[in-house]
Amino acid sequence: MAPVGPRSGDAIFSSIDRVNAELFTLTYGAIVRQLLTDLEDVDEVNKQLDQMGYNIGIRLIDEFLAKSGVSRCVDFKETAEMIAKVGFKMFLGVTASVSSWDADGTCCSIILEDNPLVDFVELPDTCQGLYYCNVLSGVIRGALEMVSMKTEVTWTRDALRGDDAYELQVKLLKQVAEEYPYKDDE
Amino acid sequence: MANTACFMIVARNDIPIYEAEVGSAAKREDAAQLHQFILHAALDVVQDLAWTTSAMFLKSVDRFNDLVVSVYVTAGHTRLMLLHDSRNEDGIKSFFQEVHELYIKILLNPLYLPGSRITSTHFDTKVRALARKYL
Amino acid sequence: MIGVGKMKQYSNVLDKPLSKGKQEVSLSAFAFLFSELVQYNQTQVDNIAELERRLEDAGYAVGSRVLELLCNREKGNRRETRLLGILSFVHSTVWKVLFGKVADSLEKGTEHEDEYMISEKELLVNRFISIPKDMGTFNCGAFVAGIVKGVLDNAGFPAVVTAHFVPIEGQQRPRTTILIKFADEVSISTSLYMTYLYLGKLNLSPVLPTSIHAQVLKREARLSQ
Repeated sequence: MAPVGPRSGDAIFSSIDRVNAELFTLTYGAIVRQLLTDLEDVDEVNKQLDQMGYNIGIRLIDEFLAKSGVSRCVDFKETAEMIAKVGFKMFLGVTASVSSWDADGTCCSIILEDNPLVDFVELPDTCQGLYYCNVLSGVIRGALEMVSMKTEVTWTRDALRGDDAYELQVKLLKQVAEEYPYKDDE
Repeated sequence: MANTACFMIVARNDIPIYEAEVGSAAKREDAAQLHQFILHAALDVVQDLAWTTSAMFLKSVDRFNDLVVSVYVTAGHTRLMLLHDSRNEDGIKSFFQEVHELYIKILLNPLYLPGSRITSTHFDTKVRALARKYL
Repeated sequence: MIGVGKMKQYSNVLDKPLSKGKQEVSLSAFAFLFSELVQYNQTQVDNIAELERRLEDAGYAVGSRVLELLCNREKGNRRETRLLGILSFVHSTVWKVLFGKVADSLEKGTEHEDEYMISEKELLVNRFISIPKDMGTFNCGAFVAGIVKGVLDNAGFPAVVTAHFVPIEGQQRPRTTILIKFADEVSISTSLYMTYLYLGKLNLSPVLPTSIHAQVLKREARLSQ
């Protein structure tokens, strides 16, 4: 079947099965709460959230590629745009934007203004080191690894810690060109 | 504005999770304690009454001298209790409704343990502002 | 203890209005997240019963919040005081908001007075997960059972709630039944309350039933802690 051009995030989101965001938000909250009770140390919780995100990312990429009709992303710049405009939209129903590219084109920021994970969350004093949405950094890292891009993903802005938005810095460490499993045969 | 008004939130397990003296009269430490004691003593009456109606606002459930106890019971049986000398029933109802909404927002925070004390100073500020507005 | 500290005032969550409940995420996003919840908890337990218990606890946290949120938003701030009322709330309102549809059925148990069952042909949390044979009767629906328990307990109707697979003839996948067994206090206080009302109508002094009623409710409240 000839590949259709990449679909917009909105188009995909309206065509897939969806659930109430509150179920999602409350379930994520229960997970974070469980981790805090079990692990007690916020750094451990951050690590565990990242790991969970990674586990999700390596599976989520299949669905992303299948539903978005994206053929091979030639470069990291395009990839970042796809994550922000299509990826976040089709899974979380929100769009993100990409900015702050460095000169090499290997490092950028993805900014989320709306974040369904954090409705009504306020960090108590005892959790000040917590990256509540750390699952997202793991998801991006895991998904990109499956398309042969090794990245480092860190939070530069976190609204729960007093900033005005959620900003993830995605830094490309290594890209292995020919391993892409979904390469279309021309 | 009510002269005397003591507001207390009591969780389902009968433990108070928030209190504030919100009347316009000068605050006295012993008066505050007496007020809280009176509200706590009214809990049994409130409990019985709560099962007889599906309304959350229970109006006045008890009296103490010239002070009236008004209560609002949420779906999860958290009691919003007010000891006051005001006659403004509509104002009291609006006060309760708005505090109820604030309480729901606190509850929705997954890092807040239901039944534990509400320590948010922002919540405290807003409750006092609502008291000034409605009572 | 983590979670009970002083809240810092960064973003004014209290100024943000309560959502109308219209925002959505993809079903797969929820499925992925839920699968991680189950897998994480598997590493924390030694047996199936403990796993179900932990999922139930996670669900309970959701249920206690959902009760307050939905009564305020969907039920015009009416508090349920009757057993059938709260069951109907769970079966219709809670199910519709969380799972997009009312539950397939709500039935009263035939063997015991205080048992009710909510059934679903394909419970959302079970749609994507196949249970390996060596996990026996484990049911991810324990999470949903926890949600139901959270709603019922906090509304003043304490119950034991569990999830079970029920094979259906002619269907490949079993349906899921959420079994609700109300605590004794609930049945007693319901019937005592009826007695109280009845006596009240006849203008007989309601003193005796009220004091028993109050005692029963106190006992129920203590036991449900």
